[in-house]
Amino acid sequence: MTVRTTLAPAAGMGWATQVTLFIAVLFLVCAWAIDLTPAALANLPRQMATVLSFFYPADLNYGATRVWPALLESIQIAWMGTIIAAMLSLPLALLGARTLFPRIARLVKLISATARAFPEILLAIYFVPIVGLGAFAGALAIGISSVGMLTKLGSEVVESIDMGPVEAVQAAGGSRLLALRYAVVPQVLPEIVAHWLFRFELNIRASAVLGVVGAGGVGGVLLNTLRYRHFEKAAAVLLLTILVVLIIDMVSGAIRRRLLR
Amino acid sequence: MTDKAAIRFQGARVVYPNGAVGLAGVDLDIKPGEFVVVVGSSGAGKSTLLRSVNGLTPLTSGSITVGGQPVPKKEGRELRRLRAGVGMIFQDFRITRRLSVMTNVLVGRVAHVPGWRAMLNLWPAADREIAFRALERVSIADKAWVRAGDLSGGQQQRVGIARALAQEPAIILADEPVASLDPVTTHQIMRDLVRINQELGITTLVNLHFLDLARRYGQRIIGLKAGELVYDGTADSVTQADFKNIYGRDPDAGDLLDESEAS
Amino acid sequence: MNEASRAAPGRPLRPARNWTLIIAAVGAVSLMTWWSARGIGFSLVELACNLPGGRRLLVESWPPDWSFFPRLLGPLLETLQIAVVGTVIGGILAIPIAVLAARNLTPGFLVWFVDRNFMNILRTLPDLFWAMLFAAAVGFGPIAGALALTVFTIAVISKLWSESLEAIDMAVPEAVRAAGGSWLAMLQFGAIPQALPHYVSYALYAFELNVRASMILGLVGAGGIGMVLETQRSTFEYPRVTLIVLSVLVLVLIIEKISESIRRRLV
Repeated sequence: MTVRTTLAPAAGMGWATQVTLFIAVLFLVCAWAIDLTPAALANLPRQMATVLSFFYPADLNYGATRVWPALLESIQIAWMGTIIAAMLSLPLALLGARTLFPRIARLVKLISATARAFPEILLAIYFVPIVGLGAFAGALAIGISSVGMLTKLGSEVVESIDMGPVEAVQAAGGSRLLALRYAVVPQVLPEIVAHWLFRFELNIRASAVLGVVGAGGVGGVLLNTLRYRHFEKAAAVLLLTILVVLIIDMVSGAIRRRLLR
Repeated sequence: MTDKAAIRFQGARVVYPNGAVGLAGVDLDIKPGEFVVVVGSSGAGKSTLLRSVNGLTPLTSGSITVGGQPVPKKEGRELRRLRAGVGMIFQDFRITRRLSVMTNVLVGRVAHVPGWRAMLNLWPAADREIAFRALERVSIADKAWVRAGDLSGGQQQRVGIARALAQEPAIILADEPVASLDPVTTHQIMRDLVRINQELGITTLVNLHFLDLARRYGQRIIGLKAGELVYDGTADSVTQADFKNIYGRDPDAGDLLDESEAS
Repeated sequence: MNEASRAAPGRPLRPARNWTLIIAAVGAVSLMTWWSARGIGFSLVELACNLPGGRRLLVESWPPDWSFFPRLLGPLLETLQIAVVGTVIGGILAIPIAVLAARNLTPGFLVWFVDRNFMNILRTLPDLFWAMLFAAAVGFGPIAGALALTVFTIAVISKLWSESLEAIDMAVPEAVRAAGGSWLAMLQFGAIPQALPHYVSYALYAFELNVRASMILGLVGAGGIGMVLETQRSTFEYPRVTLIVLSVLVLVLIIEKISESIRRRLV
């Protein structure tokens, strides 16, 4: 991209050039620090090609016997985590809306920001010793870390609604709870359910990696096949994962579009 | 019924947190069954006057009684009981667009049925009958099961009126009910309000911006200026000079519905 | 159920609900939940029984082993280096991929179709899968991590930015074309400048995600602080694990604050 220096060509570089230069220097320093030299970079395509050739043919038998059950477990983890998060975040999203509960909202937002800061895999590191190796720890980790994000998104949806009907229910003598029931929830539910579904799509990917720390699912299988250099088996893991995630994304995306129409 | 429908303002004063004065000490008596139109330029305190009757805007000092009972200043059971008998109609309709017309009207029954029934959307047959009659009174019973957001503006305002009627109220407060409607619909809605007042004897307070509408539909006209009561008389006796006094200037075409329609 | 509506003629009957859809939806959700709960051994009883053990773990993990901190500085720095390298390479490679995937700019349907699907497939695999793959291909260490984040960055930026490119005003690009400009000239002078602020914003967002991701890449041997975390975790040195988790969180929050303030100034 050309940088226009029409105003003061003699004065030197524009700020865009300076930033680009800064990033370039930073990049070179970092690349040098991790030994990513031009030689290593040049060697890369050949290395990748060699390894990739080992991936063919995929061991479909292994796929059916070992990968498929692990993938199903990943889906179960993601689903349970999403359900836990959805149930916990719905009331929290209402309580976290500034427009409805100005005093409680700040506290709820603080809690959700904290829950959001932990990547699920770090939570899983703590849950595994607590509830034992396996999928249950994974579901809890996914659930807790999703609560934060879903609460935040839900509160934003609630804050964006038309508050008129809320006042109308109260003007008719309805309690605050009834105002939530008839004026808030009907306005926000489709968007909030769409966020749940989107989170489920993300959680499928998150649950797939949890196996790395022993929290169940397909990640552990991939790690083992690669560790013992069984590339045809790893190929089966990748193929099946891509396929299943694509299908789930498609179905969930179609439902989301219908909800929001 | 008659007693419950009387409203009395005594030294009613509202000062907003930002220092703006909504009502500057209003004394006013409204008799049961009256049809009162409140006029004044924007910011004169028309909305504040109406909203203080059902406690949506609490008084800073003074008092308002509805049917002899003082309006509570805090949210709670007492205030909800009072609001159950006071229907309110809003400029922007304030219906829940994603719910059916019927459910929106049943919201008018929330304070008349047990809380758990209202919560679970399990309305007694008698209350559904009341809601249907309210819809019939504004001639949109045929739209009962349509999604409220799919209706035209005039129809949505009728849903708002039906919701107020479903409360079987002694009083109706209509805050600029026609300000977002076209002229033809405006006259229909105003006629509906007058007819409801006559047929059911519900005390009605309507805020209006347009002078010709006020004169045409009002029985009694109340003029507000900077939160003070500056005019109180019958619609027949109100003069051009009175309007000038209320608005602080000569009324122009923008203050007349049918004129602004023509221009 | 509808005595009221039957009583008076002229009232519309409440339309029958779409019970098939309702039952199908409720049934599917219940079935999924039951199947999942059973499959993963979800049980509140187990959770309650294990809580004492959990409390012991939490007690053991606190206070963090502060004396370990000096040994974290190197790996933390390496983590940031991985994130920078991955973001820069990925950010550059994402540009052509996003342009070809934008419906209004792509030179042909076939290119668009192939590129779009390539983009979607990149997005299906989580960051740690790429890290495992590259660790297997080029050996354990930070280069594998940087390559994994390169792919991850391409996936994030190209998807978001192609949507921004599709939303641009086409008047200028078409004018460049009409004046005889080439496809590249159209991009350079007509299309890309309009969506440039979005690109910078998404690149910063990708950098935030990459800093987060780079912390855990080491769990599968792809360099950075995660490798230290993995060794301490597998020997149950929880006071050290806590220290690592805390320093990761603090670093992530600092980077996010900086990036957020830059993004706010841009928009």
